[in-house]
Amino acid sequence: MRISRHAETIWHFIFMVTVLVMVFPIIYAFGMSFKPLEDAYNNVLNILPINASLENYRTLFASLPVLKITMNTFVVASVATVFKLVTSFLAAYAFVYFKFKGKEVIYFLLIGTIFIPFTVTMIPNYLIISEIGMLDSVWGVILPQLADAVGIFLIHQAMKNIPGSLIEVARLDNMGHGRIMKDIVLPLVRPAVTSVGIWFFIGTWNEFVWPVLVLKTTENYTLPLALQMFISSEGGTNFTVAMAVSVITMIIPLILYLSFQKYIIGTFTSSGIK
Amino acid sequence: MSSLTAARRMLQINRENAIGYLLLVPSIIIFAVFTFWPIIYTVYLSFFDWNMISPTKEYVGLKNYIEVLSDPKTYRILGNTFLYIALLLVINCAIPYIFAFVIDIVLKKYKNFYKSALFLPAFISLVVGSILFTWMLNPVSGPLAIVFGWIGLEIPNWSKAEGWIIVVLSLITSWKIFGYNFILLYASINGISREIIEAAKLDNIPLWRIFIQIILPMSSATGIYVFIITIVQSLQYVFTPVKVVSQGGPDYASSNLIYHAYHEAFVVYRTGHSATLSIITMALFLLLLFLEFKFVERGVYYEN
Repeated sequence: MRISRHAETIWHFIFMVTVLVMVFPIIYAFGMSFKPLEDAYNNVLNILPINASLENYRTLFASLPVLKITMNTFVVASVATVFKLVTSFLAAYAFVYFKFKGKEVIYFLLIGTIFIPFTVTMIPNYLIISEIGMLDSVWGVILPQLADAVGIFLIHQAMKNIPGSLIEVARLDNMGHGRIMKDIVLPLVRPAVTSVGIWFFIGTWNEFVWPVLVLKTTENYTLPLALQMFISSEGGTNFTVAMAVSVITMIIPLILYLSFQKYIIGTFTSSGIK
Repeated sequence: MSSLTAARRMLQINRENAIGYLLLVPSIIIFAVFTFWPIIYTVYLSFFDWNMISPTKEYVGLKNYIEVLSDPKTYRILGNTFLYIALLLVINCAIPYIFAFVIDIVLKKYKNFYKSALFLPAFISLVVGSILFTWMLNPVSGPLAIVFGWIGLEIPNWSKAEGWIIVVLSLITSWKIFGYNFILLYASINGISREIIEAAKLDNIPLWRIFIQIILPMSSATGIYVFIITIVQSLQYVFTPVKVVSQGGPDYASSNLIYHAYHEAFVVYRTGHSATLSIITMALFLLLLFLEFKFVERGVYYEN
């Protein structure tokens, strides 16, 4: 059967419209962040500003410690990512290359946490962080996120694809597990580890729910929390400045995604849910 | 010391597998402290009256459960929760399934472009998404309202309208999660042997039948995974637009079980009610997982 050109054209149209809905707001936000307030309301349909100005960014930098907030976001995202990668890698290695009692149960319990709603853990976690004096600190945001079930799962899937004989030969050569990890397994799963790392970094960079509970003062905020300040139901929403914060919040994730998209899409399409 | 030896014997720890356990220790400690213990403690809190500040908690037995289950608000929020689930399943499970099929089987050009563009919002903060769409869909001055105005259509004042608010917040959430589900489903469909599909095409079997009789059964493992994460994860993702855009309003019309549990704990400081709502939510999720394992899993096709 040949797929009719007609049907193909219609589907291209549907995909284009969907892409437009997904991507247009992002492009629009970039333009709007350079529009003066009147321009934003009078020339709504112009994506590009008529009188481009840095006014919104100036207002933003004058009213918020933007650099400090960006730095906080960076610290949370990078520290959490490094720890999640290390703990996930070690756990995945144990699950793939060791036989021990209770392995299946432990794996099932850890992966099962993906399906636990966060509200079930939020009050006790808040109390723990409060108890150890980490409220209103980026470290309080980071601490519960040093391990990750999705990371264990994805790296586990990648390691399973390495032929077992490779590891057996290395063991027969009396190679230690540390060296096997570093010299054999890590190089082979590096693409997966890289994209999982980028996924973690962007995920924690964008995180909102947990930081909203932990962080109280503006100068300890991460970018998504700072952004939320500019849209309040109690009036005073300044959309043009909000767009400027949006641009600052999404610029790093956008650059990372656009530079590594082949890698990332590859990892998600090859890991498979089996 | 003897108990340690006993434990060691029970788990049959020897030099070889001891390293295995050791490698799991970091993950297990984090999960024990920040996931498993909290679950138990939340169950415990659901039997107490507490406001998170007072030094004493009062044991009240099942009072929180009775109060939550006899509160008409709870049923309203439960109804909202199911409405969110229904909308999110259509937008983020059914539609991406069809899209993934079409991009793999029907389309020949621009495939990589579509994949990249549709996956892109998954990497952007949902707070950003909430703000962008609040502006795009602003019923008075937003771009869509102006374009609609040309053809005499109006955008409802959705932030004040029951029903509409859930539709809009679901759309914002979908913007973020659509691409991830799409990519997973695409991967699964793309992994199906081409020969089967080509043979079916040669036999002139219409595309919709190929989709239902070949693609759906052969990608069902991923399909069910996406179905479940859409319910479990998306309900949590909805929290962000609810918090940023509506705070559950107007009059609880956009609140769901997750947001309501947050609201009870951190806005009105009724820890017992919040814990009770969370336990009920978790019970619903677990029931769903159980049903999945019991009834659906048997018919699932696993490639390996």
